[in-house]
Amino acid sequence: MQTVGQQLIITAIPTLPALVFLVLVLAGRLLKENAQYVAILGVTISLVFSVFALLFVAGIIPGGGAPIEFSVNWIDLGLGGSFPMGVYIDPLAAVMLVVVSFVSLMIQLYSGAFMEGDKRFAWYYAILNLFTASMLGLVLAPNFIELYVFWELVGLCSYLLVGHWFEKPSARDAAIKAFVVTRIGDAGLFVGIIIFWATTGSTAFTDISLAAQSGFIGGSLFTTAVILVFVGAVGKSAQFPLHVWLPDAMEGPTPVSALIHAATMVAAGVYLVARTYDIFVQSPTAMLVVAYIGGFTALMAATMALVKKDIKRVIAYSTVSQLGYMMLGLGLGNYTAGIFHLYNHAFFKALLFLCAGSIIYAMDSYNLFDMGGLRRRMPITFWTMIIAGLSLSGIFPLSGFWSKDAIIASAYDEHYYLLYGMALITVFLTAFYIFRAIFLAFTGEPRTAPASEAVESPGIMTGPMMILAFFSIVSGWAGIPEGFGLPIYDYFGAFVQPSEFAVSTLNIEQPAFSFVIGGISFVAALLGIGLAYTLYVAQPERAGALAARFSWLHTFLDKGWYFDALYGATFVRAAMWLGRATRGFDRDIIGGIVRDVGRGALGTGGLLQRLQSGAVQNYALFILLSVLVIGVIVGAQYAVLVVGLIALVTITAFAVGSRL
Amino acid sequence: MPQIPPQVQQFLDALVSTPPLEGYLVVGAILFAIGAWGALIRRNAVVIFMCVELMINGVNLTLVAFADYLPNAGGLGVSYAVLVIAIAAAEIAVGLAIVLAVFRSRRTVSVDEVTSMRG
Repeated sequence: MQTVGQQLIITAIPTLPALVFLVLVLAGRLLKENAQYVAILGVTISLVFSVFALLFVAGIIPGGGAPIEFSVNWIDLGLGGSFPMGVYIDPLAAVMLVVVSFVSLMIQLYSGAFMEGDKRFAWYYAILNLFTASMLGLVLAPNFIELYVFWELVGLCSYLLVGHWFEKPSARDAAIKAFVVTRIGDAGLFVGIIIFWATTGSTAFTDISLAAQSGFIGGSLFTTAVILVFVGAVGKSAQFPLHVWLPDAMEGPTPVSALIHAATMVAAGVYLVARTYDIFVQSPTAMLVVAYIGGFTALMAATMALVKKDIKRVIAYSTVSQLGYMMLGLGLGNYTAGIFHLYNHAFFKALLFLCAGSIIYAMDSYNLFDMGGLRRRMPITFWTMIIAGLSLSGIFPLSGFWSKDAIIASAYDEHYYLLYGMALITVFLTAFYIFRAIFLAFTGEPRTAPASEAVESPGIMTGPMMILAFFSIVSGWAGIPEGFGLPIYDYFGAFVQPSEFAVSTLNIEQPAFSFVIGGISFVAALLGIGLAYTLYVAQPERAGALAARFSWLHTFLDKGWYFDALYGATFVRAAMWLGRATRGFDRDIIGGIVRDVGRGALGTGGLLQRLQSGAVQNYALFILLSVLVIGVIVGAQYAVLVVGLIALVTITAFAVGSRL
Repeated sequence: MPQIPPQVQQFLDALVSTPPLEGYLVVGAILFAIGAWGALIRRNAVVIFMCVELMINGVNLTLVAFADYLPNAGGLGVSYAVLVIAIAAAEIAVGLAIVLAVFRSRRTVSVDEVTSMRG
């Protein structure tokens, strides 16, 4: 159990960045460039508190050692149930908290220089902090409703940040695309939540898992609901077939891409699957879907990254691919490996983007073929990017090796040889495309004037890069498998474990470290790097020749397997048609009715206007006539009265006649 | 003392006896009708007011006649009649003031010429 003070500290983790957001929104115009100091202060305290939560959950702080859990009732429907707002921090959430706040801090430090002179500087920082706050809140959520609230906030923030330079039409379109595509996933998630809530009466992860175990929900309905939840994760984590938004999201400022790709947005999907793992393991079908979607996405995105000219897009496809690995790990039942990869990936992917940002900052171009020869001019960027690239490729002993190897080994050990093959090819492709980018940018001769005049970025940018480079090397050492023979304890594996229930349901032996499997993927990565070296350093003319020789393949990959064209021709077109039809209906039918009613009222008014003669006696006459008519109607049964009234009417008629 | 013929006696009896309710009602109705007629056809605003007075008094007569005819009503009709008289006085005061104001500005009291409220 934790004390109230400790609960306050935990609550402050997401609240502080949210407060910073409020301060920056209200006082951003006054603070201008000073906004970064407010933001960095807030997120630093969040990081300290996150570390506290991690130590507490790990049992290093006295009184801890168990998951932190507390909640308040948010909406109480009486007999209809209730929706609590709470906090649940198990080792998974604790690790995520630290990763998110750490990466966010690095990026906020870096952004100070990168975004200098931007006219919406404070607004940028405000949204960056809201983004961080939403992701931290998402990590803490113990139930679907709370998670969904933060889930949507994360989506909103990514929309705002991708579209930060909304004066550019392409940035605007990318922001809308990111929002709409992830919304498709969100809709699936929401339906899944509703199914769970309708059948189990609860939205808490643990309750739903227990309800499914005791048979309140099962069979195809359960599988459907689980897969719908996974659809949400697919949208957020940019998995096939909803991966199309992530490369376009590169229109945002580069530090934002780092944040989206490393810690916040896209990690949310993987985190959701991990968070609801006890539910997922109860549906073998869903697990298989997760594994195959993950494996396929990893391979597909890696092929797309091979030919991109835009350095950020190469890294973006790399993210899609690595997220596929994580999904693959989770789907195969190797929970620890999936999360381990998420954690390692956060560091080296953030670093890759910051390196790319550094290059862009130096020479204001995204195109790899504008660069070249930057190695001497930007040594820190070069070496940090080499480290990140090696880590991403899975080169021993950098962090990427350990987690990626664990996932690949899982695929082999569980006899999913197709998935194993796809993962292995992806290792090769990954090493190739990232080193292609590095070689193109840093080696050879400068291809343009900006490249030959580039200078190293300021210390506030290279500082976070070096810190991240350090973590890209060592973060994996927290989880060196015991079978490797080093006298280092497998802290990560011991700390972040699936629940006992998940272990017993899956009933699979976690693979021991195998030097053969590890060696094979290591060699595949080296081959990839070697091929990249051959094609882009040793014999650069061969690359062009190959591209010309297989131009159809080159175009196919460069267009991203024509997914955009396909979606454009089907869904976008259909949606546009629907939009036009709706607009037509609204304008012609609804609007027409409204216009006609208005016109009718106007016409009737025009007719009645003639009665308004201004002569008082006419009005009196109308009153009298009306009274008579009413009298006739009310007193119709009294024949005598009727006759009398008719006489009066006659008299009045004469009166009118003489008046007019 | 000459013998009075029964028909004449009957007539005299009718003269001295209380007239029936219908008589009052008919007189009231006639008063009202004359008033209404006048209010509708006369052009002079002052005359219209007089006609309105006639209508009001026709109603008053009816009220008082019913008050006598229905003793159980507790004199409600009479008190209503008093109320109507009071209101009629107020109405005349306001109305004549309006007529005076109109006359000052337009030098006429003919309602046909005061139609500036035409829609």
